[in-house]
Amino acid sequence: MTTDSDEKTSGTGPAAAGTAGPAPARAGWSRVAPLLEKYGLLILFVLLFLFFANFWDRPGTFRSAANLQSVLGTYAVPGVLALAAIVPLVCGQFDLTIGSVAGLTALSTAAVLTRYEGPLWLAVLLALVIGVVIGAVNGFLVAYVGVNPFITTLGMASVITGLITLYANGATIIISDPTLTSLGSASLFGVPQILFALAAVAVVVYYLLGHTPFGRYLHAIGSNPTAARLVGLDVRRLVLASFVLSGTLAAIAGVLLVARNGNANPQVGGQILTLPALAAAFLGATAIRPGRFNVLGTLLAVFFVAFALSGLNLNDVDQWITDFFTGAALVAAVALSTLIGRRRAGAG
Amino acid sequence: MPGGTGTGAPALRVTGLSKTFPGTRALDGVSIEVEPGHVHALLGGNGSGKSTLIKVLAGVHRGDPGGELAVGDAVVASDRTSPTWARAAGVHFVHQDPGVFPTMTVAENMAIGRGFETSRAGAIRWKALRRRTVGLLERFQIRATPDTPVGLLRPADRTMVAIARALQDQEGEHEGVLVLDEPTASLPASEVDVLLAAIRRYAVAGQTIVFVTHRLDEVIAIADRVSVLRDGRHVGTVDVAGRTESDLVEMIFGRPLDEVLPETEPAGARERALEVRGLVAGPLRGVDLVLGRGEVLGVAGLLGSGRTELLTAIFGAMPIAAGEVLLDGRPVRFASVDQAMDAGLGYIPEDRAAEAAFPEMSLRENLSAGQVRRYWRGLRHRHGAEAADARGSIAEYGIRASGDQQPFSTLSGGNQQKAVLARWLRRTPRVLLLDEPTQGVDVSARAEIYAVVRAAVERGTSVIVVTSDFEELARVCDRVVVLAGGRIVAELSGTEMAPHRMTDLAFASTDARRADEPRAADTPSEVAR
Repeated sequence: MTTDSDEKTSGTGPAAAGTAGPAPARAGWSRVAPLLEKYGLLILFVLLFLFFANFWDRPGTFRSAANLQSVLGTYAVPGVLALAAIVPLVCGQFDLTIGSVAGLTALSTAAVLTRYEGPLWLAVLLALVIGVVIGAVNGFLVAYVGVNPFITTLGMASVITGLITLYANGATIIISDPTLTSLGSASLFGVPQILFALAAVAVVVYYLLGHTPFGRYLHAIGSNPTAARLVGLDVRRLVLASFVLSGTLAAIAGVLLVARNGNANPQVGGQILTLPALAAAFLGATAIRPGRFNVLGTLLAVFFVAFALSGLNLNDVDQWITDFFTGAALVAAVALSTLIGRRRAGAG
Repeated sequence: MPGGTGTGAPALRVTGLSKTFPGTRALDGVSIEVEPGHVHALLGGNGSGKSTLIKVLAGVHRGDPGGELAVGDAVVASDRTSPTWARAAGVHFVHQDPGVFPTMTVAENMAIGRGFETSRAGAIRWKALRRRTVGLLERFQIRATPDTPVGLLRPADRTMVAIARALQDQEGEHEGVLVLDEPTASLPASEVDVLLAAIRRYAVAGQTIVFVTHRLDEVIAIADRVSVLRDGRHVGTVDVAGRTESDLVEMIFGRPLDEVLPETEPAGARERALEVRGLVAGPLRGVDLVLGRGEVLGVAGLLGSGRTELLTAIFGAMPIAAGEVLLDGRPVRFASVDQAMDAGLGYIPEDRAAEAAFPEMSLRENLSAGQVRRYWRGLRHRHGAEAADARGSIAEYGIRASGDQQPFSTLSGGNQQKAVLARWLRRTPRVLLLDEPTQGVDVSARAEIYAVVRAAVERGTSVIVVTSDFEELARVCDRVVVLAGGRIVAELSGTEMAPHRMTDLAFASTDARRADEPRAADTPSEVAR
């Protein structure tokens, strides 16, 4: 009844926008815009790399193998965390506990190995169990109790930080497990071993999100939860699963963190790790598959920021640039992709 | 001036207003005058043009050139209306959804939109606001304090708060026009009388009110005069005093009210695909119906009749309080949607954007939503097979798209709906439930959509269609049942399936129900609250 007039007009607007792609008049822009949107970050990354490698490299070490290895190795853990972040984001949820989970599992791994002299497999298993349990608690509160995910995970992050302080009491635990330390700092064929761990995690997440029904379901829930329920999806169970997965990935990041650092420092973890991971996830959503949280975009975002910071640091730009650049890149990229996206959707 | 004796100029004057949309003339030379201090009812069937008239008045649409609108001294050409003009002229609107903020207090609701009064330091002057609100509550006789959250008020009072908010800046009642657009449609019966009494009081105090409704008994109860639109034309304006509901029905439909005799025919010799017995859920109060195999059954119901709930209850998306559903003669009870789907049911919801579309996902992904697992073989997702199926569906269902990867949100309404339909028909459901399948869809896409439904029926699918477009039901259905007040009140088939007959039955039964059922307090909707 209320739409008797709207109906007649609705045919023109969206339809016109939808078929605008191959329209000859604006062919140039309409063909370039999607590519620019998809590969914009990649192009920037390449330009930035060439810039630091050729034009602004005072110590002359940016291109050195040692620097490349160092950057790649250092950002493997943030990379895994960023991948942990995108899983709940895909289905429209937030997980702010990932950094804290990484901190806690780093501590638990180091404690099992050093204080209790347990085997490595047990340390890793415990870390994974911790990640699964925290993820399940988050997921239960969000999906079944209906607590806002922001509040749930912010609160849980604080709880975990409290537990870390309680156990570690400020002391750093140094590990000496040879397998773990070589995973953290040795290279294989010139590539830091820890990068293989990141690659393995990335392949698994890529597969889960892009090539399994589970991933498709998460995307559907993120797009329209009501419609997802009405096509028969068990939305609550899937949301719970997304948190369990992000907790598990964060636990893996915790183990890798110990491996990389050779110790578990109770000061490392929490929001120091969470926020850059979320920033990378959002930045990554502007690239490769614009508008979607995706693995390749996320990895690109992590290393874009990583090499930019490395280049700046090598040229003795102060420490303030780290936070400043990360934030500015995020806001600029998201704003730009919103503008391009709006133009793509048509003038309306 | 109770009853408004029409001393001076009319409060609202519409002269020669036409409105043409591409392909249709929604309004055709309509001229209506509304006396000050009257409750002036605006009646008309679906597509009569009353919504369009209201929208032109609100400035949402502009009329065709040549006519004129006047509210008191404010006069505007019919093609120059705008929301700004409507506000300045003092035309205020309160819709079926009163648009109040339930968690905010009455005082805050009053101040929102109008602006909060603040002190020099920028703080809200709560005392002044409270004082003003007390004045408004008294003037509009709403039983509430300024600090009550609006959500705690009874439904009629919430609408009255919306009315008070709309009228708060008027100096007196003798200016401006209050337009109430189906204000009772979503209220429980017990609340309707409270609101109607309030509306009557406001008119007695001198407020001019244009009252749009479907319910003839409400018109008889509170309106002074009534204007009737049919097919975009103004049929006439008459005094309500001394008229009966059948007089009004005759004006609305242009022929006398046939005596309402529900003729219930058995579903015929068809095998029973789906049977519903004594279904109680939400507003439904004991629905019985039978759907034959390969049949298209229409459900004619007005807004609020429970038509949507009937489908969601069958589909397991809404809890059933009592009664049973039989699929192929076997009782079933679906605890969730996927159980209903496994049993061979499909459901296309009314609100496509909110309940069926995955806007950022591709057409391909939208087509295979709900059956993704089918492409999961050998531990990987068969993108190729999915794409091939998507291209097949695009061709089969005549979806116009640049390719199967086109983002869903960029398709037109009709093509989106065809895609949603294709999503379900690919599963060859045994029973397909369609809620307003052609809403927001242009005429040619409508025909295509029903052709697709017909083709599915040929393949053995049985269909229940719910829509408020009764002409459409008459065209596409084998049989139609009329749902009113949570019950099936009539069943029509063959030549009886005339749109006007469905409308008569839906209207008349709604009124009859409200007359013979004073125990509205124990309806499910009341209990639920």
